[in-house]
Amino acid sequence: MDRLRALRRERGESYIDYSMIFIILFLLAFGLVMLYSTSSYEANLDFEDSAYYFRHQLIPTLIGLGGMLVLSYFPYRFYKNLSLIIYFSALGILLALIPFGKVINGAKRWLIIAGFSVQPAEICKIAVIIFSATIISKLQKNLLTPKGMAVALVPTFLMAVLVYKITENLSSGIIIIGIVGLMLFISTPNYKPYIILALGVLGFAAGLVYFIANSANSEMGFRSERILAWLDPTAHASGKGFQTLQALYAIGSGGVFGKGLGESMQKMGFIPEAQNDMIFSIICEELGLFGAIAVMLMFLILIWRLMVIANNAPDMFGALLVIGVMAHISIQVILNIAVVTNTLPNTGITLPFISYGGSAVIMQLAEMGIALNVARNIGRAD
Amino acid sequence: MKQRRTAKKQKFTIGMKKKLLVLFTLVLVAFVGLGVRLILITKNNGEEYERQVLSQQQYDSTSLPFRRGEILDANNTILAYSEKVYNVVLDAKLLLRDEKYLDPTIKALVTHFGLDAGDIRQYISDHPSSQYYVLAKKLPYDQISAFQEMITPGSDSYDANIQGVWFESGYIRKYPNGSLACDIIGFTSSDNSGMYGLEEYYNDTLSGTMGREYGYLDEDSNLERTTIPATDGDNIVTTIDGNLQSIVEKHLKEFNDTYKNNARFGNGANNVGCVIMDVHSGEVLAMASYPNFDLNNPRDATSLIGMPAVDEKGNKIKGESVMDSGVYITEEMLESFSDEQLYQNYNALWKNFCIADTYEPGSVAKPFTVATGLESGSITGNEVYNCTGKLEVGGWPIKCHNVYGDGYVSVERGIEISCNVAMMYIAQAIGTNTFTKFQKDFGFGLKTNIDLAGEARTEGLTYSASNMTSADLATNSFGQGFNVDMIEMITSFCSLINGGYYYEPHVVKRIVSSSGSTIKTIEPRVLRQTVSASTSEKIIQYCNQVVAGPEGTGKTARPAGYMIGGKTGTAQTLPRKNGQYVVSFMGYAPANDPQIAIYVVVDRPNVTYQPDAKYATRIVRAVLTEALPYLNYPMTETLSEKEQQELQQLREQMVTTATVEDVNGEEGQEGQAEGEEATGENAEGTEEAAAEEEKTNDGPRSSIWETFDRDPSTGYYVDPSTGALIIPDSGMVIGGDDLPDFGEGVPESTDNTGTTEGNGP
Repeated sequence: MDRLRALRRERGESYIDYSMIFIILFLLAFGLVMLYSTSSYEANLDFEDSAYYFRHQLIPTLIGLGGMLVLSYFPYRFYKNLSLIIYFSALGILLALIPFGKVINGAKRWLIIAGFSVQPAEICKIAVIIFSATIISKLQKNLLTPKGMAVALVPTFLMAVLVYKITENLSSGIIIIGIVGLMLFISTPNYKPYIILALGVLGFAAGLVYFIANSANSEMGFRSERILAWLDPTAHASGKGFQTLQALYAIGSGGVFGKGLGESMQKMGFIPEAQNDMIFSIICEELGLFGAIAVMLMFLILIWRLMVIANNAPDMFGALLVIGVMAHISIQVILNIAVVTNTLPNTGITLPFISYGGSAVIMQLAEMGIALNVARNIGRAD
Repeated sequence: MKQRRTAKKQKFTIGMKKKLLVLFTLVLVAFVGLGVRLILITKNNGEEYERQVLSQQQYDSTSLPFRRGEILDANNTILAYSEKVYNVVLDAKLLLRDEKYLDPTIKALVTHFGLDAGDIRQYISDHPSSQYYVLAKKLPYDQISAFQEMITPGSDSYDANIQGVWFESGYIRKYPNGSLACDIIGFTSSDNSGMYGLEEYYNDTLSGTMGREYGYLDEDSNLERTTIPATDGDNIVTTIDGNLQSIVEKHLKEFNDTYKNNARFGNGANNVGCVIMDVHSGEVLAMASYPNFDLNNPRDATSLIGMPAVDEKGNKIKGESVMDSGVYITEEMLESFSDEQLYQNYNALWKNFCIADTYEPGSVAKPFTVATGLESGSITGNEVYNCTGKLEVGGWPIKCHNVYGDGYVSVERGIEISCNVAMMYIAQAIGTNTFTKFQKDFGFGLKTNIDLAGEARTEGLTYSASNMTSADLATNSFGQGFNVDMIEMITSFCSLINGGYYYEPHVVKRIVSSSGSTIKTIEPRVLRQTVSASTSEKIIQYCNQVVAGPEGTGKTARPAGYMIGGKTGTAQTLPRKNGQYVVSFMGYAPANDPQIAIYVVVDRPNVTYQPDAKYATRIVRAVLTEALPYLNYPMTETLSEKEQQELQQLREQMVTTATVEDVNGEEGQEGQAEGEEATGENAEGTEEAAAEEEKTNDGPRSSIWETFDRDPSTGYYVDPSTGALIIPDSGMVIGGDDLPDFGEGVPESTDNTGTTEGNGP
């Protein structure tokens, strides 16, 4: 606090959160190293180029860093005015998937724009953060009225449902709703409805799982099979449980200090597409519990830094933007690790900054740029 | 001013800050929970998962088979070798990478391997992700070489459109000579482990080490493949002489062809065995038994036909009457056999009669009794005994085979005419202690440790001094009441005639690495001295009389142009008075300086009157007539006209066989058939010759039975008072010398029943 006070005194100078920048750079570099380690074997087999995935991740990372730098200078207050444009642009790109989307692995999730594949779902996440922050800060007290609630919720829920329906990606939809939910939780004064809601969701989920587990009906869709595989991965070892089980093998075989960087055996074709959702299991295998917990600590520090920025944000809008970013990172990290450890049923959620995925890393770095710009305005009294 | 600004700007409120802290706490709790979960997974399942990871990895590497060592005979003729063969493996996933590969690949498979295109397409469409499917098994190299060319980049006929097919190499065991030396060699099961004979005994030597090919990542994460080559097994060079072995086997088969389905349905005898051994080293030169089997197809049920069936313990199934030598396997029986029964009988076929079956040796044990007497000083060799046809021992009247009595019998004549009474007197002079001690020295009741799998354990099949009664001693003196196997007898007999050196018998003389360097040479090993040189000389002198003497029982064993020595044996089996006999001849050549020993045992010949050692001596004669010239022993005896004719015939037969063999290749079936016919005539000639010889010898003989009339059909003498048949040469009354049943009271004897019946391991 002394430091912050000192910063306030020297008005002209802007605050730069170096520790957060360091963590972001560290996670990116670490992510690239792990991505190369994880993917080089498969890349060599499939493309005869062990650095295929590495190169395809390096370019978006550099673009993302450039974007982060630019956005950290772009005054965040302008987003308030741009929020509707951003929202409808994201919606437009999402809807463009229907005619132009490229089907990969049976799902329509990618748009090819000038040779780059773009995942509209990632754009939607940042759009929802900006849109919700704008709505909430504008509605203020009216938020608690049913009409206000509806104005805040309907557009975002619409987007979440569209993401789920168009891309058939439940997890992205859940993340969007989660981000909005957490932003509302912070910006409204009471706890009770949220506790009731959380318990209700938990109860519903538990009931659903119970229902699926006890009705041996094979006619159900692949999601229910995922739930059965989650309950007993060994029984579904050759089907939906395969990836989860192999990830557990990787975690278990890593031990405390792991097999050493690059020494993973599970990456050699046993964990399908390990560089995507399951990269955390390879981290566990190669670097052990020590490495895995170190990575988790890094994310925790990042989230903590975001909380500090939000607490010290010059205004409500800035704080809400940072809270949205914080919620996004928290949800994705927690869900990803929960899936890898089979704490939750398998659903495709990537680990921010580390998993393979160009759109995701660019958008996440853009969010960081916004948060850094909010931080830059700490103490600026204008 | 400050307040105004605050009012205008919506500040982040304290309540919100609190809530943010709550959110962060929740995130913290979630992180801690996940961290705990990670720790628990590692702690609880770490080891199990680590094993799982390692076991999965094995699929990624392939093992490379080793080549099993060869088995060679003494002249480096290959008896067993392993041939590299290839399985054609289809990788459907690889093939289906591109539609254009499918048709050329299937077409090539169909033209090269004669596979059905429809089947392959069916399989590929059913299993598009299959990466390992064996299309054809165990093809030799010349069948796959053309296809191999097509998938090898850089070769002339390389076709890039043929994809997803590769060859997996392995070895199969081949025996170029079929059934030759089957009992010695043994065979291998599919997993490369030896069964029976040398293949089993030397399994570790013949086996090499598997190689391994596996992939790993180099520093640049490129997939590299590394190969640890397989180490091929070592070759073994045996002491077996392939030519001698085939001579022996030819005559055993000839015997079988002559006597099969003769007095009863079935083979010429329950078992016929022959061992030829180098007297001065213990090397086995030939060892064979009949029935035999094809090593390339050991499970050929037709080999079982005519064999006595065995039960689950390997004991011969008893016939309805005690006179039946067994229940013989017919085609109908084969069909009714369960798999288990079939396997029991295969085991009986596969085991090596010469080392696995025990029986009472009979009179071939007499030289051992005399040697014991001479060596222990109990007799001098100058004694003369009076044989009245029987001797009362321990209250039992034990008969001589000549129940009319041999009169005065010297030690030498005792061997020559095989007088039981003389032996009983000698044994009485020796006493139980010395007798049993010498039996142990001769190796009776002990394994010889020959390097073949499946040697019988004969411990407990002989008497010890403490449980030997005087009657046991008496019967033991002429080879009844204790059990031996062939290898025991001949190994010990070699020591009697080579100056007393008991050599450990062996079949392998050298172990050679796959690259040809000698790893180990197995030298002859003297285990002990059984008798002194002077005793040995006397035994040779006595045994020579068996063949050369005027009253010798083994005259029919003498091959044309040579003089040999030896001893006949006609052993009763249990239960006594069953009319079943094990007849044998154990001899050596040349007579004055023994170099090789031969032992032939015929277990229950397929004839009406079994107790006639001629069934064995004729085989010995036939084998030696061919074997001695082959081994380059010079002829010492003048040839009679008949013998000259016989040899002439034999030579012609050998020549024709040889030429036919040249034309027909290895099989030479026609030649063999001709040979059989020729020898068939031969055998008749021999019999006539023997009969003539007997007539000429009639004059000086004085035995009572020689005055009896002869039975016109069999040529045996007939006792006018009892009607019993008497065998010329030995004067043995068929059924007349049956031993009293006292032997069966002894515990060992009950064991013996089982073993006599061929209870091998």
